[in-house]
Amino acid sequence: MEIFEIKVPGIGVRYDFTTEAGDRAGIVIRRDGTRDIVIYDREDADAALGTIELSEGDAAAIAELLGGTTITVRLEQLRHDVEGLAIEWVVMPKAGGLTDQRIADGKIRTRTSASVVAVVRGDHAVPGPGPSFEFQAGDQVLVMGDADAVAEATRILTG
Amino acid sequence: MGHEVVVASASGPLAAPPLVGDVLIELGLVLLVLALLGRLAQRIGISSIPLYLLGGLALGKGGVIPIRAGDNFIAVGAEIGVVLLLLLLGLEYSPEDLRDGLRSTWRAGVVDVLANALPGFAGGLILGWTPTASLLLAGITYISSSGIIARLLADMDRIGNRETPVILSLLVMEDVITAFVLPVIAVLLVGATLAQGALAAGLAIGVVLLAFYVAFRLSARVSRALHSRSRELLLLTVLGITFLVAGLADAVQVSAAVGAFLLGVTLSGQVADEVRSLLPPFRDVFGGLFFVFFGMQVDPRTLPPVLLPAIALACVGVVSKVATGYAAGALAGIGRAGRWRAGYALVPRGEFSIVIAGLGVAAGVEPQLGPFAAAYVLALAVAGPILMRAGDRRRGR
Repeated sequence: MEIFEIKVPGIGVRYDFTTEAGDRAGIVIRRDGTRDIVIYDREDADAALGTIELSEGDAAAIAELLGGTTITVRLEQLRHDVEGLAIEWVVMPKAGGLTDQRIADGKIRTRTSASVVAVVRGDHAVPGPGPSFEFQAGDQVLVMGDADAVAEATRILTG
Repeated sequence: MGHEVVVASASGPLAAPPLVGDVLIELGLVLLVLALLGRLAQRIGISSIPLYLLGGLALGKGGVIPIRAGDNFIAVGAEIGVVLLLLLLGLEYSPEDLRDGLRSTWRAGVVDVLANALPGFAGGLILGWTPTASLLLAGITYISSSGIIARLLADMDRIGNRETPVILSLLVMEDVITAFVLPVIAVLLVGATLAQGALAAGLAIGVVLLAFYVAFRLSARVSRALHSRSRELLLLTVLGITFLVAGLADAVQVSAAVGAFLLGVTLSGQVADEVRSLLPPFRDVFGGLFFVFFGMQVDPRTLPPVLLPAIALACVGVVSKVATGYAAGALAGIGRAGRWRAGYALVPRGEFSIVIAGLGVAAGVEPQLGPFAAAYVLALAVAGPILMRAGDRRRGR
């Protein structure tokens, strides 16, 4: 799908696209973070038939519904950009592995060359957790590196 | 535009200074009248600007209830109103918006100037006005009301429309061009000789260019320096800088309004976001005073003689703006229906036309200018939104 970016002076940016089924739609991202989903008239390609106004929270929830958080989308892009880069979300097990242990205890970095770049716990995220960060059961751990290293790191994390 | 204040205080009934109580009572009455008119405007779904002007006509000299003691405060409040109106207008745009707008719509911008400023200039000359007064009238007929149009586009759910960026870019363009022309007009109004005038105008335009350069280059740095987490400190800082810049701009004949606009463009990022949410209530109060003050300076008895020419010029103004919007839409590859929508959307004239007229009224350049501008803006601030809605209904929506 091709997406066109159009600046809307004093308001923000609009992204236009046509779906495979031929429907034209757009998303206006306002400077204050609210987003409008716009559906265009099939008869008059310039006019909005209707607009759905979304708060930042609404937009995040809908992005989730539509498949993949915005983080995932960006990661996909990164994976695309760096050939051979593997990115894995690892969910910490109830017990075993590194659950209830510190990052430093696993020596992931030295043993595998992969990195733990972020941890999502409940509804907040810890970007770049330090060596003394302690994993808890259910943490979603983002591991990055080459494919072998990530597989090895996953094994260390989940035991 | 500081001249307004001076003129008002010179002509005001200041033999005995009015009692503080009287000033407060009259100010209270003026604000209450504004509140009532604002409610009425909301009820019937039109912009409040024309009603504020009518309120001013009723309260001013020769009006139904002439108000005098508050004159001075209202004059100062009006001046603050202009500065805040223009500051917030500038805040709506980032330097990138200006650059992109100029790049993408300059052709339509030229059409806009030719189609809308020339009839005003010609109209002024036909009425027997001086070239300077005619130039002011050209500005009044040229500039669409960003305030009215932006609000209507949002109300009518047109932000996502493909012709909307075209409309907004044209408005940006008009504001930038006016920022360059106002200093020239300000110099002409002082009545300088041609050589002096050219020198002063050159200086003024140099200052505006410098300000644009600062806006583009130092926008982020200035914004960071002014920022504060405390709303109180942020407000004090921004208002202080704004009045200082506006005053200095006025002192070098660039016009306070232009100074405030350029400062608004310069501010960006977090400061801009917060000021945009903090200042609108102030703007609405003082902006209301500005429109009332303008109305108050116009004696209603001077309206009838200019009514017919003003309405004739307003009709020309409708046609020329619709044609401009249609052409701009065509240049941007918008479909036929969208071109018409762009055309009707550009019709409303409002705050900036009154700002320009205010300059001339303060300088006393042409006695008919005030009433003429009032009638013209009244007509188009009311007719514009109606036409815009009618344009929508024509499509059966």
